[in-house]
Parts: sequence; structure tokens; C-alpha cells
Amino acid sequence: MSALTAAVSSQSTITDAAEAVAILVLLSEFAMLRAALSRSQVRLYAFQSLSVSALAVIVAATRHIGDLYVLAGLSLVLKVIIVPAIVLRLLREVEGDLAGSHRLGVASMVLLAIALSVFGIFVVGTMPIHSKSLPVLAFAVAAAVILVAFLLVIVRSDVVSQAVGFFSLENGVSVASLVLAAGLPLIAEVAFLFDLLVAVVVFGVLMRVHHGRTSTLSTRTLERLRG
Amino acid sequence: MGEQASRRVPFVLPSPNRPHGLMASAQVIALRGGGVSGIELAPAEIQVLQDLTIFAFAPFVSGAIAHFEARLQGRRGPRILQPYYDIAKLFHKETLAPEDASWVFLACPIIAFACYLTVPLLIPVLTSYPLPLGYMGDILGGGFILALAGFSIALGAAETGAPYAQLGSSRAMTFGALVEPSILFVTFTVALVTTTDLPYFEAAAVRSSLSQVVRPAHLLAAFAFFLVVLADTGRIPVETHASTLEFGMIDEARTLEHSGTPFALLKWGSAMKQMILYVILMNVFLAPWGLAGSRQLGSVLLAVPTFLAKALGIGAIFAVVDNSFSKLRLFKITEFMAAAFLLAVLAVLVLYLSGR
Repeated sequence: MSALTAAVSSQSTITDAAEAVAILVLLSEFAMLRAALSRSQVRLYAFQSLSVSALAVIVAATRHIGDLYVLAGLSLVLKVIIVPAIVLRLLREVEGDLAGSHRLGVASMVLLAIALSVFGIFVVGTMPIHSKSLPVLAFAVAAAVILVAFLLVIVRSDVVSQAVGFFSLENGVSVASLVLAAGLPLIAEVAFLFDLLVAVVVFGVLMRVHHGRTSTLSTRTLERLRG
Repeated sequence: MGEQASRRVPFVLPSPNRPHGLMASAQVIALRGGGVSGIELAPAEIQVLQDLTIFAFAPFVSGAIAHFEARLQGRRGPRILQPYYDIAKLFHKETLAPEDASWVFLACPIIAFACYLTVPLLIPVLTSYPLPLGYMGDILGGGFILALAGFSIALGAAETGAPYAQLGSSRAMTFGALVEPSILFVTFTVALVTTTDLPYFEAAAVRSSLSQVVRPAHLLAAFAFFLVVLADTGRIPVETHASTLEFGMIDEARTLEHSGTPFALLKWGSAMKQMILYVILMNVFLAPWGLAGSRQLGSVLLAVPTFLAKALGIGAIFAVVDNSFSKLRLFKITEFMAAAFLLAVLAVLVLYLSGR
């Protein structure tokens, strides 16, 4: 009986921890949305990826899936270290003002994002989805992260935000796949990660070409169509 | 399902006859020692004592925090008891009013002071069990009374016709409205956790187990309330609470035209408001331990220094936070409030989804 109680309480502790990490993923998405500097956006992305890796470790530990440890390690190396390092290096090469790419005020942006994530969380909350290892909140958070990442790409008009928004979109999808398909074959998961690498290369080229042509990172100049 | 059911057990409030935890052991020791601790206080007496604690020690807490803050900035700072001297001095000064001001101008500080004396009756200052008048109002009721105090001070400022006083009161009312949504959502969290919105029940819920303390919804709500108190006690984001710099003047500006006894009441009242907010933050959300669990004189008296220590602790944290971040521009205050609102909304969403 006492063993059962201990198991139940440890289970609820794990649920609490997983909930806390999932919330950290969402909070860092919000922080990216309102961060003034591109550099801090990239650092926040690294932090968010770290939280996603922690979620993967939690799932791996509770469901005893060895492959997931490998995946968590790979995504740690790739998304916490390599991708942020590449983007930060690209940023170091370009100079100029990076702040002030908001199309809306920060407060209205955050309110809009709150409305979007409430929508995402409620929609997902009505779905009958249960995971053995992660709380349903994690899946809801994944939906909210994806919606807020879209908002980030839409309302911030600089190339770095577009890139970081796209990368964090992938983080949201990772969280969703941890809830829905934790036992996915490792090869498929690794393929997703290489997709991300391709995206990094594309965005790196985009950033350099755009900066070379317009000598700014802002995408507002793209709105002026010229032959 | 069984786990969920076990988590939804209503939180039993400790009754004064059933001592528990820390206080129980303290009480046993005190009983062995004999002396004053054998005396039981009537609930009404304890309630008066709660009020007296806030009334008497609020300037002390303000002074101690100001002293600590000065040390933080490398100054020697005022004496810890300086607020008492200031208030005593002001009581001896003559009371002046602007020519066109009516009696409202002089009545407003008294109304505000009465409000600040009423709120401690509703919140757990010294005891972990609800006192008779504690059921008079819930968190929203306490909020309304605090808002009435703010309104009457603004009314007094409007009465003067002086530009600075009106500027201060207009700012205070505007930014007060921005804080409200966060407070409402924190109240919703309390309601979802305890199925009431009485501060005593929330404190009992937090005390009931460690997992209640570290659960994400509670942490989010507590942090949102921390941000609200930070803004409401005139620290970050824009205010310089200790100076009369025009850009950061919100609360200070409202009282510029007052003098003498009404001004003393306003100063005292603002110290009491700060202490009331500390009570709600510490004794309801962050650290509801060390409260008296019985009506014994000894344990109730022991709760006074315990609470003062907690108030000084959180005040020191506020001072450190205030001094380690730069102030925002006045109209960036909405960004700060949006952050607090986000945390409070997330707390409610987490509770809604996890269903416990």
C-alpha cells in the first residue's frame, strides 16, 4: 500500500516537473516574442531547446525508451549549441540597429499572443488525447508554442526573428511529437533534426544575402516592390 | 483518477483547538515553562492585535527597508525609526488646505487611513485559522477596500486643483486599472485551487503539502502576484518611490498639497498599505508558515516577530530587485503589466487543463 502511494506521489511529482518544463517552453516563446535584441532572441531559443531536451529525457526515463536519450543528446548538441552558435556568428558579422522591429506595441503583441495560446490550449484540451508519460498540458503547450511562433514571424519584421520563429516552431512540433509519438523510430526523428540543419543553412544564406543587398536586417524594405 | 480525487480533497482549516506543526511544538515548550502562555485570547482580541501589528510596525518595516536600501547603494541612510519621527513631527505641524478645497480634501486622508485599518481584519496576519470577522470579505472584498483608499486619496488630490497632485492621481488610477486583470486572474487561481476565494483557505492549501508549493500553477500565480506587489508598492517598473523626481512621480505626487496631520495619516497609511500587501504575498502565497495555530497568548505573540522577519525578508528582496534593474519609461508600464498578466493567465490555464 505504501509502495503504491509512493509510486503515485512520484508519478505526480514527475507530472508536476513535466508541466513546469512545458510551461518554461511556452514562456521562453513569449520572451522571444518581446525580446528587443536579436542576440537575446537566439539565447532564448537555446534555452527553449534545452527545455525540450529535458522533456525528452523525462519521457525517456518514465517510459524506458533508450532511443529517446540519443535523440535528447542529439537535439541538445544541435539546437542548444550548434544552431545558436551559427546564428550568433552571423549576427556578429552584421552591424546596425536590430531593435525596434515590432509592428505592434509590445503589450498588444503579448495580449494577442495570450489570446492565441488560450485558443490553442482550449482546442487541444477538448481532444481526448492522453499520454502515459507527459501531461496533456504538454501537448496544449505545443499547440500554443506553434501559434505564438507564427505570430512572432508575422509581427516582427527582421530576418533574425523570422529564422528564430521558424526554429522555435520546430521546437513546438518536437514537444507535440514527444506527447503523440514518443516511440517513433530514431531514424525518423534524426531526419527531422537534419531538416532543421537545412533550414539553418537556408536562413543563413537568406540573412547574408539580404544584409548584403540592403545592408539591414529589417525586412520592411522587401515590402517595396521594384522591378 | 484516484490520484486526482486525492488531490481535490478540500483543505481542512486548522481549528484553534487543534494546534499543528511548528506552532504546536512551540506551544508545548511554552506550556511546560508555564507563565503567560497559558492564557487564551478571545478571537476579538486577536483580531484587534492583528490590526495593531500592522498599525504599529508598518513605519518600522518601511524604515528598515529604506535603511537597507541605502546600504545597498553605499549610503549610510536614515535611521530605522526615522518614519516614526517624521510622522510624529507632522502631527505637530499646522494643517493647511488650498483655498478652493472643500471639506473633502481633509476627510480623504482619514477615509483612506480607515480603509487601511479595515483590511487587516480580513487577512491572515497572525493566525492560520480564520477569525470571526475574517469571513466579512474575501480577496476581492479586501481589494475593493484598498481601491476605495486609493480612490479617496485621488479624490483629495483632485480637490486641490494643483497640477502635480492631479497628475499623480490620474497616473495612479490609470496604472491601477492595468494591475486589476492580473489580480483578478490570481484570484481565479485561488478559486480553482480552493473552491473559495478566502485568503485563509489558500494559505491552508499551500501549507497542506510540499507538492502544493512547487506545483506550476501556484508558482505562476505567486510570481504574478509578486510582480503586482512590486508595482503597487511603487518600486519597479517606473516609479522612484523615495524621491520627488517628476518623471517617476506617481504615488508621491498625490500627496504634495497635504500638510500636518492629514499628511501624517497619508504617510502612515502608505506604509500600512505596503505591509498589507506583504501580508497577502507572504502569509497567503509564498510562506504561510509560522502563524499562530492556537489562541494561546504565547503563540499569538510569537507570530508577531515571525511575521516581521518575513516582511523584512521580502522587503529586502524587493529592494534588491528594485536596485538591480533599470527603470522603464513611463509608457512602457503596459509591457510590465502584460508580463504579470501572462503569468496569471497561464496559471489559470494550467489549472483548467490538469483539472486539479
